[in-house]
Amino acid sequence: MTTQRLLATLALSASLFAIASTTQAQEPTEVSWLMWSSSDEQTAAWQYVADLVNKQHPDIKVQLQTTNWADYWTKLPTLAASGQLPDIVSLQSLRAPGFAQIMEPLDPYIEETGFDIDAFDQSIINGLSMDGSVFALPYDFGPYVVYYNKDRFDEAGVPLPTVDWTYEEFLSAARALTKDGKYGFAVTAMGYIPFALSDGAEYLTEDGELNLDDPKLQAAFQKYADLAAKEKVAPVIAASGTMSTQIASGRFQSGDVAMFTTGPWELINQKNKTDFTIGLAPIPAGKAGSITTSAGSGFGIAKDSDKKDEAWKAIQVLTGPEAEQYLASAGRAFTGRIAEQKYWYENAATDVVNARPALEAALANAVPFRTTPNWNSVEMLSEQYAPLAYSGAESGAEVMDTISTLVEE
Amino acid sequence: MTPEQTAAPINLAGIGRLASHLAMVVISLVFLFPFFWMISNAVRANSEVLAIPPILWPNEAHWGNFIAAWSYLPFGRFFLNSAFVAGSITIITLVVSSLAAYAFARLRVWWLNSIFVAYLATLMVPQAVLVIPLFLMMTHLDWVNTYQALIIPMAFSSFGAFLLRQFFMQIPIELEEAAMIDGASRLRILLTIILPLSAPALGLLALFTFTSQWNSFLWPLIVVYGTEHATIPLGLTMFQGEQGTDWNYMMAGAAISMMPAVILTILLQRYIFKGIAIGSGFGGR
Amino acid sequence: MSIARDRAVAIGARSAANELLAVTDPSAGASRKPRPAAAVGYSRRRQDAHAAIWFLLPSLTGLTLFLIVPLAASLALSFTNWQLLADPKFVGISNYVRLLTFDPTFYRILGNTVLYTFEYLTLNIILSLGMAVWISSLSWGKTLFRLVFFLPTFTPLIGVSLVWLLIFTPEGLMDWLVASLHLPIPNLVTDPNWAMQAVIIVSLWAGFGYNLLLFGAALESIPQSYLDAAAIDGASAWQRFWSIKLWLISPTLFFGMVMTAITALQVFDQVYALTRGGPGNATATLGFAIYNSGFTTYKMGYAASISWVLFVIIMALTLVQLRLQRKWVHYDA
Repeated sequence: MTTQRLLATLALSASLFAIASTTQAQEPTEVSWLMWSSSDEQTAAWQYVADLVNKQHPDIKVQLQTTNWADYWTKLPTLAASGQLPDIVSLQSLRAPGFAQIMEPLDPYIEETGFDIDAFDQSIINGLSMDGSVFALPYDFGPYVVYYNKDRFDEAGVPLPTVDWTYEEFLSAARALTKDGKYGFAVTAMGYIPFALSDGAEYLTEDGELNLDDPKLQAAFQKYADLAAKEKVAPVIAASGTMSTQIASGRFQSGDVAMFTTGPWELINQKNKTDFTIGLAPIPAGKAGSITTSAGSGFGIAKDSDKKDEAWKAIQVLTGPEAEQYLASAGRAFTGRIAEQKYWYENAATDVVNARPALEAALANAVPFRTTPNWNSVEMLSEQYAPLAYSGAESGAEVMDTISTLVEE
Repeated sequence: MTPEQTAAPINLAGIGRLASHLAMVVISLVFLFPFFWMISNAVRANSEVLAIPPILWPNEAHWGNFIAAWSYLPFGRFFLNSAFVAGSITIITLVVSSLAAYAFARLRVWWLNSIFVAYLATLMVPQAVLVIPLFLMMTHLDWVNTYQALIIPMAFSSFGAFLLRQFFMQIPIELEEAAMIDGASRLRILLTIILPLSAPALGLLALFTFTSQWNSFLWPLIVVYGTEHATIPLGLTMFQGEQGTDWNYMMAGAAISMMPAVILTILLQRYIFKGIAIGSGFGGR
Repeated sequence: MSIARDRAVAIGARSAANELLAVTDPSAGASRKPRPAAAVGYSRRRQDAHAAIWFLLPSLTGLTLFLIVPLAASLALSFTNWQLLADPKFVGISNYVRLLTFDPTFYRILGNTVLYTFEYLTLNIILSLGMAVWISSLSWGKTLFRLVFFLPTFTPLIGVSLVWLLIFTPEGLMDWLVASLHLPIPNLVTDPNWAMQAVIIVSLWAGFGYNLLLFGAALESIPQSYLDAAAIDGASAWQRFWSIKLWLISPTLFFGMVMTAITALQVFDQVYALTRGGPGNATATLGFAIYNSGFTTYKMGYAASISWVLFVIIMALTLVQLRLQRKWVHYDA
């Protein structure tokens, strides 16, 4: 090797080293974010949103980690227990109370930075709050509504549900749609709650304690269970490793049940998987009107994080207008930000009968789906025990009493 | 030839034998039905999976579902992860178990017997007892979400040591005595004499270890997240999302994921029978 | 906790149980070939001790770190009220007291576990032995048939359970079949009195292939000379089975029983995936209760105490079986 070449090589490596060290100096702060995702496609969408953060704050880089939906709730507490939580934690409103203790209250940040929290729907902000403190900013939410198979209604000559339909109309529709081995409706483990609320029965007490031994609630649950047990307008869904909501959703897709309840988050998937026309309707009005619950998810900051300020900047972007518009346009989120909901209606809800009126009517009477810290147990026990009432093996009151006792345990 | 077969008219015995074989074929087909159901559900539209009444075979078979299931998730990645993890565990198990088994089979030391009984007792420990403390250990080692967390804690089971010990014990001792007189070390004897004679037992151990790790679910679920280190069983659960389940893809994925183990078994099948006869402690006597 | 792992362990442990016998029953080891006394000199023994340490070092280290330490840790945990998200506090034996006296579901769950174990064990042994005898009497296809019944082992549990879920689900294939044939059978997974049968059916389908292989191999290894001798004595096929084959394979049969019982007592996967313990707690087992306490309600201390109760039950049952075997198992074949 000639001296010249040697010098050139040295110079080159020196400059490379210099470049390397300057990039080292400007290396953005890495903020970790754990999110659920069920496919590459979803992960790509979350990655897109994570990259938005770096675009707006070049000094912050969000490191996305994903796990699938069901496993997320096994993983989160194990990570918390071992001090391995990411900086940004994703939370679903139903499960938020159980995890409040590992989360940083956002109120001081909101106040300090003058963040406009009113751009979000109030019911989901409440859903992600515990004892008056907000723990996460929502990216999506939605009220539970009735999805129906318009083709089945037309075939059976049953009038389509209106936004002010009553329980009696719902029941007679379900009866008319139950024939030839197909059913009108699907009952799920927790599905009775909006129906109970619409009948004026409460599943939680004023103090937020479980109210499952309340006779009024038990009567409302019995009425719901009787849709399967006595009226036989809904198939019995057995307890299994697959959640009853997933089975109900599968039965709806196959056209076996003409109606079931879920939130707007499932619409894009249902539309892609079905070849009939889907329609939406609010929960049918009972004695107390049509009252539904709304639930959603958002992003908060782990209490143990040592990058809280960066994380706060990041979650503002993750739930910011640009991210929300992107998620809504892809049909992934009925956005927590009210202004961006229009993109969801325009993209996800096309060809869906009454999507907008039904959701707006539902939202007008939606209450946050409040839960207890041990909601995970309540849900699991309901999956396990509710089928006893649906098959008529036990009364609704017996089932509710059992769940109530076991949750206390 | 049994006496009544020779005593009875030939054609009668022949009919009986034929009937016996036919009955076994029928039973096998019935037994295999769930596999048919798996394939049948894998190639139908998702909306036909839960149809009432059930559809035995879809009107239109979507064989493309296998490709769709494969590309829906980074299944190739899961496949490689599973193969790497199960393969590594199998190799470590073979090495570690051979060493221990040799000690138990051949060395005469007064405390070996007590240790051996302790090894036996570990087989009675329910797995559920261990998972949480193991996970805590992984976090302290900072191994969460790494390959070593998937591999190392699962690579030490006393089962391999037993299986191999049973086999080693029936290899004639004289083969070793000769080598010993020539001054060969114990390790050398193990490597050059015992292991080459133990191919069936090693094959059997490799098969059991590999298939059980290939299907292992709870430990990977707890110790890794994301798709980077996920194994196939974890991948299968990803078809069950927040927004509904892709039953057909999940069935297709399950069918795909069976293939390596089935192929491995067909390749190793002559070892399975030999190996088990030895492992049971009966054939060896 | 994976079923496949349990199965694999079960196979290996059959040989383990053999050794346990050798330890507890002097006659069991009698047939082992004695070593030439001259070869075992003093220096050899020292060399042996030295070698033994090195040969055992990898597995002993691994087992200690990843089995003994966690096992001890879980015993320690069972005396705390640790709930994952909060710091653990020492509570003495109160977890055990609560489990055995207050817990309203414990005895039902224990009963379910015992029922499952008893029924599964009985059916498994009868089926696998019967099929093994049958297959070994065939003149062609032995390997093929054994592989067929071994095949479920290769399917990841989540796939197996979903296939069966689609078969058993209300108005699914099974109901359709039952209705077409007008059989008086209710839907298995929604009827609390029948749900356990569904779990047992799936367990048998997924698990009996192992014992089939084991017993098949034992039958194959019976020296033909024994059977020929019996045939000359004029024994019928039926007599030969009972008086010779069964007697000769009784040690293998015994290992199969012990290990099937150990894995059956731990049953979790099938319950979790197929019935989630329901309907009600009709199919909840101890293995399921451990998972539930630990990962649904995050009560780790309580979960650890249930798992130790299970461990003790497994040990007790295994010891009982070891005692009983002297009455019916024959070693000096």
